[in-house]
Amino acid sequence: MISVSKLLCDLDAEGDGLRYDAADESTKSQIRDEKQRRPVVVWNVTKQCNLYCDHCYAAADTDIADGELSTAEGKALLDDLADYGAPVVLFSGGEPLVRQDLEELVAYANEVGVRPVLSTNGTLITEERAASLKAAGLKYAGVSVDGLPERNDDFRGLDGAFEGAVRGIENCLDAGLKTGLRYTITERNAPDLEGVVDLLTDVGVDRFCFYHLDYGGRGTEIVDADLTPEDRRAAVKRVCDMTRAYHDRGEEIETLLVGNYADAAYLVEYAREHMSEAQARRVYDYLRVNGGDPTGERVADVDYQGNVHLTQFWQGYSLGNVRDRPFGAIWEDESNPLLRQLRNREAHLKGKCADCRYAGVCRGASRLRALTTEDDLFAPDPQCYLTDDEVHGPAPFDAGTDVANPAD
Amino acid sequence: MERLDDEVDAPRGATSREWELFVSEDPAEPLTHAGSVSAPTAAVAREQASALFAHSVERLWLCPADETRRFQTAEQSLVADDAHADADATMDHEEMAAETLQGDAE
Ligand code: SF4
Repeated sequence: MISVSKLLCDLDAEGDGLRYDAADESTKSQIRDEKQRRPVVVWNVTKQCNLYCDHCYAAADTDIADGELSTAEGKALLDDLADYGAPVVLFSGGEPLVRQDLEELVAYANEVGVRPVLSTNGTLITEERAASLKAAGLKYAGVSVDGLPERNDDFRGLDGAFEGAVRGIENCLDAGLKTGLRYTITERNAPDLEGVVDLLTDVGVDRFCFYHLDYGGRGTEIVDADLTPEDRRAAVKRVCDMTRAYHDRGEEIETLLVGNYADAAYLVEYAREHMSEAQARRVYDYLRVNGGDPTGERVADVDYQGNVHLTQFWQGYSLGNVRDRPFGAIWEDESNPLLRQLRNREAHLKGKCADCRYAGVCRGASRLRALTTEDDLFAPDPQCYLTDDEVHGPAPFDAGTDVANPAD
Repeated sequence: MERLDDEVDAPRGATSREWELFVSEDPAEPLTHAGSVSAPTAAVAREQASALFAHSVERLWLCPADETRRFQTAEQSLVADDAHADADATMDHEEMAAETLQGDAE
């Protein structure tokens, strides 16, 4: 994830549970360093969901899958993640709140030292549930809202889903739970972006994560539902403009972009065009340390049946199953040539990405989108919206700039 | 045989069949397990596995996960006792419907 508010407005958000910048941790103890190299693990605790959203990557529906991990197996998985040093577990689904043992699992994650955070549609969060999750030690809840009421409800397949999510957010905030918004940008809901942020800041939300669509999940319609690269660029520019406008007014909202590391390249270009050369350099240096697309490295997914995936969106391929082998053993097993190649992807990228001057901060963006649309794991990401002029040419800045002492 | 008496019989696929993948990068070396792909048929599984591994392997086998019997020693089991004893951890349909949008109930 790329923090727009941090990069453009120098907002240092307090620990949000989802690691952003490894550089911040580099002076701390060795254990901390090791944790920084371990992936954030998304765990889809169930396939079951009370909604039916158009773009669901997990193909969730109203039924559970056969052989979902039980409470005991879930705890064993959390032990396994703790042993391996995973810093964060993101409880996801389906809808994680349909699991009655969610609080028990959250409490257990906390107990074994893996920071528990949650991704939810919010419509099952009653006052009681918010309070019990907080008591169990949940550190953060990300609630999905994908447009203003009409558009959101249509998309989620339930009238009142928007209001329900807002009530859920209010219940979390009242319970003292840090809560943020998840907004997946599509062609349909891109116009609502500022409206949703305005509405939810009034409710008290101050953290907004904007997700780009990745091409897993419910069929290929997903590709048609996506923005064109040009519209995506315009939407990302609006996120940047909006973030700066809020900060100029003294409202310190945190905004993040997830799922398309071409955004990293764009942010450098944006800072150069709309701010200053020095700001562009700072942005670039931070992003270089951040390291580009995290697939198969700094993010992992375990599905409801225990299959380990390269990201939560990449459900069609699994590296192995935690019922057969510990998570760490699967994740470290570079006898798997795919894993090895992905971790060394710079050597394999083709076309526009092969000689992109931003490859160091982007790393070819989504390999899953390339695979889905081009049938080629190392083809350029079809959702890269940078122009040829922008991506070609010498490195944007000399290497080795000192972030702490920028040249301005 | 008694040693390998823990059978991992939980399914690996939920939305379509799952296919275990075995690959070798060097034709002289034995095949190794390299995860699995989800696909409705062997032909589609082959396409998907080829797209993922075409760059790196010389040989590729696909085995339907639901025809693969997995055995291990009891110590390797994720949990010691019956893994499915509490498999009713989620809400049933009625409860889920009744709980949805109850956030504003005073
Ligand atoms: S050309 Fe490739 S590496 Fe460069 S910004 Fe676009 S997606 Fe990223």
